[in-house]
Amino acid sequence: MKTLLKGLAGVAGAVALAVGGTASADKEPIKFALLQDFTAVYTFVSSEYNQGQQDYLRLINETGGVEGHPIETIIRDTANEPQRGLEAYNRARREGAVLVDFFSTPVSRAAVNRVLRDEVVMITALHGRGDASDGETFPFVFPMMATYWSQATLLADYIERHQGGLTNKRIALVHIDSPFGREPLPVLQELAQQKGFQLRSFGYPSPGAEQSATWSDVRRYRPDHVIIWGAGGGQQVSVREAIRNGIRPQNILSVVWLSETDARNVGGNHMNGVKRFEAVASGREPAVIQDIVTHVVEPGLGAGSAANVGSSYYNIGVATMAVAVEAARLAIREFGAPLTGDTLRRGFEMIDGFDARGLMPPVTLTAADHQGGGYGRVSQWNGQTWEPLTDWSNAFQEIVWHEIEKDAQGFRDGR
Amino acid sequence: MFYRLSGIHHTRYESARALWPVTADRRIIQGLLLLALAAPFLLSDLYLTSYMLPWLIWTAAALSLTLLMGIAGQLHFGFAAVMAIGAYTSIHLTRAGVPFELALLGAGLMAALIGCLFGAAALRVKGLYLVMATLAMQYLVEWTIINVPAISGGAQATLSTPDVTFLFVPLQSDGALYYTALLWTVVVTLLIMNIKRSSFGRALVAVRDKDFAASVIGVNPLRYKLLAFFASSFLGGVTGAVLAFCYYQAVTPEQFGFNVSIQLVAMVLVGGLGSVIGAYLGAGFVLLLPIVLTNLLAFVAQFDLIPISFNLLSHIPLMVYGALIIGVILFEPLGLAKIYDNIRKYFLVWPFRHTQS
Repeated sequence: MKTLLKGLAGVAGAVALAVGGTASADKEPIKFALLQDFTAVYTFVSSEYNQGQQDYLRLINETGGVEGHPIETIIRDTANEPQRGLEAYNRARREGAVLVDFFSTPVSRAAVNRVLRDEVVMITALHGRGDASDGETFPFVFPMMATYWSQATLLADYIERHQGGLTNKRIALVHIDSPFGREPLPVLQELAQQKGFQLRSFGYPSPGAEQSATWSDVRRYRPDHVIIWGAGGGQQVSVREAIRNGIRPQNILSVVWLSETDARNVGGNHMNGVKRFEAVASGREPAVIQDIVTHVVEPGLGAGSAANVGSSYYNIGVATMAVAVEAARLAIREFGAPLTGDTLRRGFEMIDGFDARGLMPPVTLTAADHQGGGYGRVSQWNGQTWEPLTDWSNAFQEIVWHEIEKDAQGFRDGR
Repeated sequence: MFYRLSGIHHTRYESARALWPVTADRRIIQGLLLLALAAPFLLSDLYLTSYMLPWLIWTAAALSLTLLMGIAGQLHFGFAAVMAIGAYTSIHLTRAGVPFELALLGAGLMAALIGCLFGAAALRVKGLYLVMATLAMQYLVEWTIINVPAISGGAQATLSTPDVTFLFVPLQSDGALYYTALLWTVVVTLLIMNIKRSSFGRALVAVRDKDFAASVIGVNPLRYKLLAFFASSFLGGVTGAVLAFCYYQAVTPEQFGFNVSIQLVAMVLVGGLGSVIGAYLGAGFVLLLPIVLTNLLAFVAQFDLIPISFNLLSHIPLMVYGALIIGVILFEPLGLAKIYDNIRKYFLVWPFRHTQS
């Protein structure tokens, strides 16, 4: 009984401390809800991504917050299940979250109608609906980085400029057989017509642990270039199978989801020369990452293993929060506190040429364009790191926007 | 004492065969129904839309599956695909201008038709082999939806549900969505309870227990197995449509993936095979417990009593959840429904303990 009472007293004390702690902060906190999948499908991808987000927000809080407002995070596991994501979303909304990031295509697709109704900003960097780039149809959804369509056109542009042109080439798109895997098809087909190259798509069954049958078909097609389109564990299997089937690593190009971890898992120097699209610089050189190392990681305030700092997915997480914090700052300066979902949205739409001090290409978001230009670059694995091969650029945005408008129209018609 | 059994004599078959012959049980049911009807006024919108609503719809799904798995004894590991057929059919029908009430019927019929096609395999195979046949259904349906843009809705593979009315009420407010789901779940519940006490239900049980013995006493296994697949798939298809319109409001293929089929089987097994109350308890256990555990742990973690990483934090509910499933199955292999039954039987004769079974 005595120990129980002691325990209760301890809990009560902790509650008092916690309550006192928030009350003593200068200004009302801003709440960001990071409701992601840590346990089911995305596993190491989302834990590195989320670590980057938390470390960046910690950096902001350690250095004075957003115009004096600290940022509070609500972090929950959704296991990639829409119904759990929606519960976590409804709860976070009641707690006053103005921004949600599900980092899961199924959950964010199920939440689109709700965030539009509730006026909560949802960021869908590198996941979710590509047509949400149309800000007039989806005012509260921000893809804010290159959509999959922009990634596909940029990779095609790279082949055209740096790998001997597109005309009369054979290009194989080897993709996971899911809506995500088939997403680049329409823009690549359009490009194939315009540029006169042959395109064939090869699907492998989800989750992609077994792809050998698909790749012997690819070998018979004898492609000049191979674009691989998957995520998670399937990506390293694709690279390994491609090399086994005699495709030179130099001719393999990948969607954004190929990281240091995949390269380590493929092993040795087998992956040297493989190229990927990248939306955010990787490594620890960018100034923001340096700041995180000095102010957050070295004092021991980091959210996870220090080894992850500077990895591709970590930096993507940092970039998403850098843009969100910038939007919050602009919104508070323009409209004052408290920040609401609607003022935060308008803050996002005021972002002009923001590059997070060299971490990412300059992003400009407007009321019409929530993609921010579709910029990225191609980088190559050199055995140690991903080495950038080109400057930040975008390509064939008119084809991308044709798709965006077509699908956004479909969304409007469906209601 | 609590159930006041004295003085209850059944002098006619009708009263003995009533759904709830004991007055106390009837009172409990009436009380629960009143609570369910009053829920929109008692609960905040968070608990109404994120807990009650999905729980009711998944209960209807678990009830449809328990008709097939529990009562008719035919294993089905592709029930999410049945629901997907219902959901997609209803959306395409309403988009084509068909009234929602008819679209629900169409969803059920389409699901029943395709479900029967795969159920036909059940006429030849049993047990684990039937599991394989139904798994094939899961993957074939998923593949078809993903690979036919006309069904999935193009590159985004997301179809929003159009605005519809149900019995002249627009399905917009949380209350309207909730009452529609409640109505459907009550209908399915009553249907399954009545099937269990009718000749159809007894024929299904006979087929479940030994199909050639059933055949000897004049029950045609072929006919009843197909009927079981038809009825269960019909209910599953309509439930899929209700899930799409009342809860998700936008359907994507991932919402009806293989893991959802497994969850449905888990609901039926943890709840208790063939039991109606088991479907309610099982759906609550499988659907809501992970959410409750996650929130409980997040609540405890905010006091910072023990320093643990957020990564471990999100895995602890999974471990507890797994341990709880094993615990329930070890404690009572017949499921949560049997635990309820034991408690009820204890109080039925309390303070005596004669009729423990």
